Amino acid sequence: MAGIELRGLTKSFAGQDVIRGVSLTVAQGEFCVIVGPSGCGKSTLLRLIAGLEEATSGTIAIGGRDVTRLDPWDRGLAMVFQSYALYPHMSVRDNMAFGLRTARVAEAEVARKVADAARMLRLEGLLDRRPAALSGGQRQRVAIGRAIVRDPAAFLFDEPLSNLDASLRADTRVELAALHRALGATMVYVTHDQVEAMTMADRIVVLDGGRVRQKGSPRDLYERPADTFVAQFLGSPRMTLIPVDVQDGQVVLPGGGRLSAPWAGLAQVGLRAEHARITAPGGGVLSGELIAAEYLGATLSVLVRVADGLTVAALAPPHLRITPGERVGIAIAAADLHPFAADGRRIDG
Amino acid sequence: MRRGDLLRWAVFAVAAFVMNFPILATLVTALKPPGEVMRNPSLWVQAPTLENFATVLTVSDRLNVYHYLWNSTVAALIGAVLPMVVAFPLAWAMVRRGVGRAVLFPTVVNLRALPLIIFAIPLYMMYAATGLLDTRLGLGLILAIVNLPLALLLLVNAVADLPVELEEASRMDGARLPRMLVRVVLPLCRPAFVTTFVFGFITAWNEFLFGLILTTRDAVPMTVGASFFFATSGGGVQWGVAAAVMIVAALPPLVLGLVMYRRITGSMVAGAVKG
Repeated sequence: MAGIELRGLTKSFAGQDVIRGVSLTVAQGEFCVIVGPSGCGKSTLLRLIAGLEEATSGTIAIGGRDVTRLDPWDRGLAMVFQSYALYPHMSVRDNMAFGLRTARVAEAEVARKVADAARMLRLEGLLDRRPAALSGGQRQRVAIGRAIVRDPAAFLFDEPLSNLDASLRADTRVELAALHRALGATMVYVTHDQVEAMTMADRIVVLDGGRVRQKGSPRDLYERPADTFVAQFLGSPRMTLIPVDVQDGQVVLPGGGRLSAPWAGLAQVGLRAEHARITAPGGGVLSGELIAAEYLGATLSVLVRVADGLTVAALAPPHLRITPGERVGIAIAAADLHPFAADGRRIDG
Repeated sequence: MRRGDLLRWAVFAVAAFVMNFPILATLVTALKPPGEVMRNPSLWVQAPTLENFATVLTVSDRLNVYHYLWNSTVAALIGAVLPMVVAFPLAWAMVRRGVGRAVLFPTVVNLRALPLIIFAIPLYMMYAATGLLDTRLGLGLILAIVNLPLALLLLVNAVADLPVELEEASRMDGARLPRMLVRVVLPLCRPAFVTTFVFGFITAWNEFLFGLILTTRDAVPMTVGASFFFATSGGGVQWGVAAAVMIVAALPPLVLGLVMYRRITGSMVAGAVKG
């Protein structure tokens, strides 16, 4: 196992900058999730680490060794593709053994490693099947098995769960996290799904427009997002951004509600749904018309229009009896607000 | 059987008869004794005989059908296999690296549009100089050129249809280019190889022009050899013998086509990506 270090990495395709100067250290044994909207360059970044794309500038080091100009086969990494990319003309066994045989590992050793991986991934009964005869979840496990047997310096995952159905995705998420703990392996995992990122990562890297917006633990990023992009990308329902005025050291919300707050240069505040408490009309600092109430069992997810073009998402206790069209108030504690400047940066740093 | 089915089968039967009429007529003629061919033009043989086939299959001092069959087999195998060997790496390089896609690919594919006779004179002189005249290798080489455009076209399409992730996966698995081509790309192109082989072999087997120009005795292929039978005993055309030799000459590619047909269809990449 080894850590990965990226320094000033850039990549352009035909003059189009896709990765614009990414520096990132993935510690040995860390589960690092790169997350971002589609087109943010996250898959390209992974392919640069893999060696499937050549960096335009910058360096990549794996375990302290500069691999920037090395071909993929000399980097000692294993990759699980979004499409699984299993060799369709080979049995599950041969799929998993291909890398070992390429490295001319003795056949007895190949058999042992394949058997070990098959046991770990519950593939023992399927070793002689072709990929076409497997379910989506089984193919996925074969793809992971193919990576495991090679005992790589690090694992790379390119949206490995996106072709699975929802319940299988949740199960596999748990299994992958368990696998990470069992192997203690360095893993770099790319996804556009913020739930996957939040649940599995030791560290999340939020990528947007080929740049790193913020990196840190899921808790750091959720509780102290560095800018409005990260704030709105992580968390469901999305964080509401409320434009505010500052008068006499007080924050003035749309509709005239006031909160005392110490920040200078404040232009907007972010409000997580769980911090917005539904009250009777006039009972909070915001008020508006209830436009949707979704009963989710444990909570009631509601949307309140407090001004033209401004809708606040809130989570209410499920027993609350409110119907769309009603006027309601929203109570907020100033300490729960995320302060942002006009350019979207967090103010309290 | 319902009336719709009956009608459908009737239409099929008529179509099959019409399309295969020349073959049926040849087969029937081959089974008629010499006198009956001129006298009885119907498809019904009055006195069926294998006499014509016996004549064809008997080795005489002038004619040897086994020799022609062997020459054709060797030349057609060279003409079918060599283009695949040459075209496969080229096809991969064209698809994945863009090598020669702008100029070489259209040039090679357009070879098919040229009347082959324009190669005849320079080729004859070159073959005479290199000792390839009247050799099976020489004939096979020119047949390989004839088949190259089709082989390249089919293999380029086959490689282009493969998901590039499979190649990337094998690179991640440590495979360098030769191993990737042989162990991953080649097996997945097998249907295209089978198709290329079948069409290439049939084209090479049925080729007449170069066989006529470039061979005289040792390497005479079946197509040219068959023409020797038309006037076996001086005089007029021996229709019965000519028909019989045509049937013999047509059998090998026919059998190959029937045996391989099932393998031409069907994709190899099911289950590779998604599913």
